[in-house]
Formats: sequence, structure tokens, C-alpha cells
Amino acid sequence: MAISDLLGGFADAITPVNLLFALLGVLLGTAVGVLPGIGPAMTVALLLPATYVLEPTSALIMFAGIYYGGMYGGSTTSILLNTPGESASIMTALEGNKMAKAGRGSAALATAAIGSFVAGTIATLLLALVAPTLVEVAINVTTADYFALAVLAFVAVASVLGSSPLRGLAALCLGLYLGLVGTDVLSGQERFTLGIPQLSDGIDVVVVAVALFAVGEALYVASRLRKGSVQVIDHKGSWMTREDLRRSWKPWLRGTAFGFPFGVMPAGGAEIPTFLSYATEKKLTKHPEEFGHGAIEGVAGPEAANNASAAGVLVPLLTLGIPTSATAAIILAAFQGYGIQPGPTLLTTEGPLVWALIASLFIGNAMLLVLNLPLVGLWVKLLRIPRPYLYAGILTFASLGSFAVNADPLDLVILLALGLLGFAMRRFGWPVAPAVIGLILGPIAETNLRRALAISDGDLSVLVDSWFSRVVLGLALLALVGPVVLRAVRGRRPTPAEVQREQEEDREVQRAAGTGDWGASS
Amino acid sequence: MNEAEESVASETPAAQRPRGFSGELVGAVLLAALGVYLLVDAGAIAIPGSSNTVGPRFFPYAVGGLSVATGALLALRVLRGDRGPADDGEDVDPDAPTDWRAVAVISVAFVAHALLINVVGWPLAVALMFAAVATTLQGRLTPQAAVRPFLVGLTVGCVVWIIFVKALDVALPGGIVLEFLTSWF
Repeated sequence: MAISDLLGGFADAITPVNLLFALLGVLLGTAVGVLPGIGPAMTVALLLPATYVLEPTSALIMFAGIYYGGMYGGSTTSILLNTPGESASIMTALEGNKMAKAGRGSAALATAAIGSFVAGTIATLLLALVAPTLVEVAINVTTADYFALAVLAFVAVASVLGSSPLRGLAALCLGLYLGLVGTDVLSGQERFTLGIPQLSDGIDVVVVAVALFAVGEALYVASRLRKGSVQVIDHKGSWMTREDLRRSWKPWLRGTAFGFPFGVMPAGGAEIPTFLSYATEKKLTKHPEEFGHGAIEGVAGPEAANNASAAGVLVPLLTLGIPTSATAAIILAAFQGYGIQPGPTLLTTEGPLVWALIASLFIGNAMLLVLNLPLVGLWVKLLRIPRPYLYAGILTFASLGSFAVNADPLDLVILLALGLLGFAMRRFGWPVAPAVIGLILGPIAETNLRRALAISDGDLSVLVDSWFSRVVLGLALLALVGPVVLRAVRGRRPTPAEVQREQEEDREVQRAAGTGDWGASS
Repeated sequence: MNEAEESVASETPAAQRPRGFSGELVGAVLLAALGVYLLVDAGAIAIPGSSNTVGPRFFPYAVGGLSVATGALLALRVLRGDRGPADDGEDVDPDAPTDWRAVAVISVAFVAHALLINVVGWPLAVALMFAAVATTLQGRLTPQAAVRPFLVGLTVGCVVWIIFVKALDVALPGGIVLEFLTSWF
């Protein structure tokens, strides 16, 4: 029974030591997530080594805190910093930034924090309810079905994330190649190791993730650093008023409803639900004139969607062992680091551990609500760190994390080589997430494909033998062809950047109209 | 709300970028080349004698084929003038020309620190890297301007080293001086 299991999880998580680790994770996650240029995936990758020395339960509890903390931190950055940031929080930034400039920064931070809490709590509850049921279905899933699921995840990740499917596919190929390097699990043969003994164990996922996210980002930002002093907007005004609350609670719930299902779906990601949530709130609001000038609904909805999808992503990860976002891929790597393989058997073999993890998601979420608003002064100080020191510091921690894995300087050279790859990918507009997902999911797909074909004695029809794999492969085909057809039929859907531009233009028009009036009256 | 910010927001679209040679073409060709390498080298993977029909070569062939196809298609698209949207970020100025010197300095400093770790210890190696990177990003490349970054880097390196080695038991060479000074606890 899910409820009693969950209560058992709470009993494990609410020991003083584990509460301390949850607190530590939440603080570290928020502090790192707040830093500009560092998204949730990089936060998790950079802080992974800090959990290595702990035993699995404490480590995963700390990890849960880091994961949710990183999400919270990102929203603070996007509200208080005067520059556009990463794609998942760009919708929050749209209105949040305007609110902060209009002296309502505190209200924006509050609706984001409470909305994240509400969405996180509901979505985590849904996770706890859905997971056991899904595991019962998943336990009958064959190796061929698994292969189909992996293919769906590949296609969806490559074509949905990012604006250009071909570039997503290119990034996926790079990840699949990196996943091939090393010793083949099933036959024990070395592949593509170039005769370098250290490569026979494969390329460490942590090294790849830190390289592509942290080193690649540092190099990219260094190549185009925004000069001049850092502008952080003051958080002024009261926290939420009754009116703010009245206008926020429906967007919170609607945002959650958008975010969770998209997180559960392979390659849902947070970008689409935040976008949908923003568009919905703009349509439903009673204050349409405020949109583009700091409407609180436009912060509440997307922020809730963002956090709900973060919890949704854990559903396929914990029940099927399939990561659907870059952050989930790194969490999967963390599991593997502790010798745990997520999949349908996880809930039976490691039940207490999983329930302790889910319980600590609730606890971390509550801690964040309590800590975040009072500590906002501290987060603002972090936002003001001079950029030369910030990026030098990111490289320092990248070095620490990668060197600590094997204590081998060669790992650092690989780190830089892959970092340069990440730098090039950012310049070309190749999304980084498919590479990380390809790296971790590629070997899973290969193993299941070969097991399936070994059982069928090489008969390819085994791949479409069950209804499950037929439906999933059909969906994969749809995800591959669908966007191309849709684009041909009714043109491109606007990207977040375009929505933002549209709003700037609206404002421009309004200002022009304003100056026109003024001109006429003078 | 100022003019500079408005212009940044309105000049970002990819359509307004120059249509000249794109480095992405090199990237696409290299991806196709990687695919060829996978296809060729996969033939050299030994197959242990067993009745298994799909061995360790199959997936490399598949990935290689996919890479060649993707690389070739992408190269065509780039040649036709299609450009990917360069990544956004809080600290990225989309209109700034690429500062290749910064990229080069960071790369060299990072390799140097990797090679120095086992010689002078992690804290000092990282402090030198930190100083080189921060000084370059400051834009002032004088010895005086490097003093503060170096001291900051050294402090960060030593504090992190003490936390991770003494409290968390991570293996990290500290260098003779620091290891001697902290040998009592």
C-alpha cells in the first residue's frame, strides 16, 4: 500500500541526521542554482561528488534537496536578474522581471516560492500514488518493450527539446558514441578505447555531464561575456497581499496540471508546460492589461508548471529507469554510482530507499518554502558575485568533481576536450541535453535490444511482438514525423524568445502611442 | 528600463546574423567523420564465438550510420544558410564578438592545472588556474591585476581541500606545504 510505504519513508527520512542532510542539500542546491548560468542539471552534476562519500540513503536524501533547491534557485535568478536566462525559467522571467522592476519583486518571489511549494507537493503526491501502479504494469514489460521505450525517449528528446530536430539528433549521436566507448557489457569486448587503458571502463557520466554543462558553459560565457557591472533588481514591496493570493492560487493549480503530465512523458521537459501555462494565464486573466508589465499570474503559473514537471520526471525514472531530462539522466548516473539500477524492480528491491527519497522530496519542499523567502538577501548577494570569479569558481568545482571520481589527471584532460565540445555545441545551437541522455540511455537500449534478439534467435519481428512496443514505436514515429508535418501545415509555433520579443514590441507600440498623445497635446 | 536592454531584446533573432561561413559546417562534417570512424572501426571489434546473432558490432554500426546521415543532412542545411540559435544565458552578450583569447587562455590554464595537480597539489594548481581565468575575464592582464584573483583562488582551493579531504575523506593531493601544515588533524 502506497500510503503505509510512504509513511515508512517518512520514518526513515525524519531522523536527525537525514534531516540535516536534507537541509544541507536544500541549501547547497539553492545556493548553486541561484548562481547565474547554472541551471538545475549543472547544479546536480556539480554537487554529485559531494554525495559520494555518504551511504546511499543519506546521499539520495541530500540529492532530493539539491534537485528541488536547484529548481527554486533558478526562479530567484530569473526574477531578480536583468538578463534573459535558460529556457525553462524564461517564462517566469518574462513577468517576474517586470514585477521586480515595478517594485513588486517580493511579491513575485513569494508567488514563485509558494507556487513551487504547492506544485511540488501535489506533484510529489501524484508521484507517490502513480509509481506503484505503474510498476505493476512495468513488471510485465519485455526487453523488446524497453528498447521501444528507449527509442521513443531518443526521438522525443532529440526532436522536442531545442528548436531544430536535426541538431537534437546530432547531439544525440554524440552522446550515443560516448556511451559506446568502453567495455561491452554482454560480450566483454573493448570498443573504441583507442588503446587507452583508462577508457576501458567507459567515460564517466559525471565527467561528461560536468564537461558539457559546467566547462562548456564557462567557455561559452567567457567567449561572449556581458561587460559592465551586474544589475540585480532590488526585491521591494510587501510579500503577498490577499489580492495576490487570490490571483495566484488558480494559476498554481493549472500550472501543476500542465507540468506533471509533461514531466512524466518521455522528453516532456519543462519548456513546453511553462510555455502553455503562460499562454493559458494570459488568456484567462481578468487583468490582461498587466501582462507584459508584471502580471502575477504570469509568474505563478509557469513557476508551478516548472516544479510540477520536475517531480513528474521522476515517475519514468523510478518506475522504468528511463531518464527524460538531462537532470534525470544525471540522477540515474547517481543511482548507478551507488550500485542501484532504477527499473520496474526498484520499488521491490530498494523499496525503503525509494520511499525515503520520495518522503524527503516532501521535506525538502517544505524546507525550501520556510528558508527561501527569509534568506533571499543571501541569494541576492550570490547574484552579485563578480563574473570573472564566478566562472573561475565553476571551473574549480568542475575540476574537483571530476578529479575526485578517479584521482586521474587524464579525466581532467577529457573534461576539457568535452568542455570544448560543449562550447562548440552552444555556439551551433545544438542542445546539450540529448547528448547526456544518449550517453546514459544508449547502453540501456543496446543491452535490451540484444537480449530481445538473443531470445528470439535474431528474429527482428520480436521488436513489434507486443502491443506495448507497437504503440510506443508508433508514438516514436509520430514524434519524429509529427513536428515536420505540423510545421508544413500551419507554420512554426513561437519560441519563448519570440514571445518575449513580441511583448517588447507591444510595449514599444504602447509607448509610441503614449508619446503620440503627448505630442498631440503639446 | 533602458535603451540598451531594448536593443538587446530586439536584435537577438537568428535571422539577422551574418550569412557567411559557419563553424557549424565543420561540426557537421566532423560528426559525419565520426560516423565513418564508427562504421570502419566497428568491423575490428572481436566477436566472441557464440550463437548470438546480434553481437557487439551491431549498435556501433547503427550509431555510425545515424551519425553519417545526420552529419550529412546538417551540413547541407548549413550550406543552404540555416543557422542554429546560439545559446542564451544570463551573462551572455549575444552581440559580442567571440573572445577567442579567453577561450584559449582557459583551455591552456585548465590543461596546465591538470598536469600540475600531482606535482604541486590541487589547491595551488587550482589557484593558478583560477587566477589565469579570472584575470583574463577581468580584461586587465597585468601582474598587479592577477594578485587578487590568485589570493581568492588560493583561499577557495585551500578551504575546499580542507573540507573535502579532512571532513569528507576524498582523495585529493594537497601539496607538501598544506599536507604538512594540516597533518596534526
